[in-house]
Amino acid sequence: MKYFLYWGCSLEASGANYLASLKPVFEKLGVDFEEIKDWNFCVASILYIGANDLAIKVLNARNLAIAEANGAYDIIAPCSSCYIQMVKVNHEIQEDPELAAKVNEALAEGGLQYKGGVKVRHVLDVLYHDISVEKIKQTVAKPLNGLKVAGYVGCQSVRPYGEYDSVERPITHDRIIEALGSEAVAFPKKMRCCGSGIFLTEMEYCFGLVKDILEDALNHGAQLVSTVCPMCAMNLEVYQPRINTALGTNFDVPIVYLTQLMAVAFGGDLKRDAALHYNIIPPETAMQAAIG
Amino acid sequence: MTSYDPSFAREVFENVDYGEEIKMCMQCGVCAASCPLSMQMDYSPRKIFLLIRAGKREEVLSANSIMLCTSCYSCKVRCPRGIPVVDVMHGLANYALRLGFVPRRQTAIFGGEFWKQIYKLGRIDEKDLSRRYFFADGFMQGIRNTLEMADMGITMFLHRRMKLLPERPIKGIKSLRKMLDKAAQMGKGGAGAS
Repeated sequence: MKYFLYWGCSLEASGANYLASLKPVFEKLGVDFEEIKDWNFCVASILYIGANDLAIKVLNARNLAIAEANGAYDIIAPCSSCYIQMVKVNHEIQEDPELAAKVNEALAEGGLQYKGGVKVRHVLDVLYHDISVEKIKQTVAKPLNGLKVAGYVGCQSVRPYGEYDSVERPITHDRIIEALGSEAVAFPKKMRCCGSGIFLTEMEYCFGLVKDILEDALNHGAQLVSTVCPMCAMNLEVYQPRINTALGTNFDVPIVYLTQLMAVAFGGDLKRDAALHYNIIPPETAMQAAIG
Repeated sequence: MTSYDPSFAREVFENVDYGEEIKMCMQCGVCAASCPLSMQMDYSPRKIFLLIRAGKREEVLSANSIMLCTSCYSCKVRCPRGIPVVDVMHGLANYALRLGFVPRRQTAIFGGEFWKQIYKLGRIDEKDLSRRYFFADGFMQGIRNTLEMADMGITMFLHRRMKLLPERPIKGIKSLRKMLDKAAQMGKGGAGAS
């Protein structure tokens, strides 16, 4: 099966370790993908400040229209912010003919048209439902035995519709962690928001959110936290020293992408395939016992 | 007790994206209980909806609440009346900023730079965006902000989490701008809405 991979702006910069590990993992699993030609930014969750809602829909519809005109394969969005925006706009256009007409009137200014014929999928959805846990298990060469992982799903990864997993108690992330041989610890705050796109500008309010999430993960025995979203990774990992200073905590918790764990478990090179050296808080020590 | 004044509610229905959705609110408070930042807000989402119905225009449009939404969608997935609370909050923030209210200054600056960059490039250049945000209050403050965050920038750079080359505009940037101009004209509130 062929897909479009819409990796978005973050995965080329602050989320580079996500893309660097996602590609070899897809290769190992035989996922055939191509880039959406000349894609534009998805609007994340902060563009409403400068743009009205129709502009936000048009930005997303442009990517959908290009995908539709070039094969209409399912679009995989590894970034949860891209996912939630695209899946939402796509549904709204598909369900509301009046809106679809307006969006198409704007798209026509650039010679594009979107008929609503593309599906948007999160990377968890594709791994769990298309590839299957069984196939992932079969691909594991170096099981991560004994590694205790908090599978932090984050708020946007399965929302707003819960198309492939529960919006309150999702399981796909944990099942994949378990397929790698590692243990998915029970972790009630796995859906709690990290502060998302307003973290940088509202730090004093968002520090507490990350503190709660990390504490919950550690209290449940996690050695590291796995994420599937570049904003979660950024907020949970890169701000830890600042949170320690501001709130008097002592966090030094490695934050990895699920695809980095997968790359390691598939027997890939720790640098070339898993990009572990891109991580600021090194996960190697926590993973030592498992990977030897 | 003063009586309810529906004029502001009408204004919201007509000018705010998703504004008409508040008609469905039954004041149960599930959104307030679900919101990760409601404790930091001047008014919880539930109270914002109530204040709109009560005609409290200034209070609503200057409340930090409408710009502290992290877009986690907890309220939206739990609302028993199916109100997309997130979208209403974003619509209110956009409307308030258009009218000159600035409920959260830093977030407003950041979001404004975000939009300018999309219009210019069609993509986001994280390092350039941060630079513009840090220098929004002039050169000296920009230097102070940069030094304050320098450790993070250097760490990101050393761990290859920063794109070194400047982001180039997408090939279709001109046609993208035409689409966005059209959307700005056609959107709720008409031209100048973006």
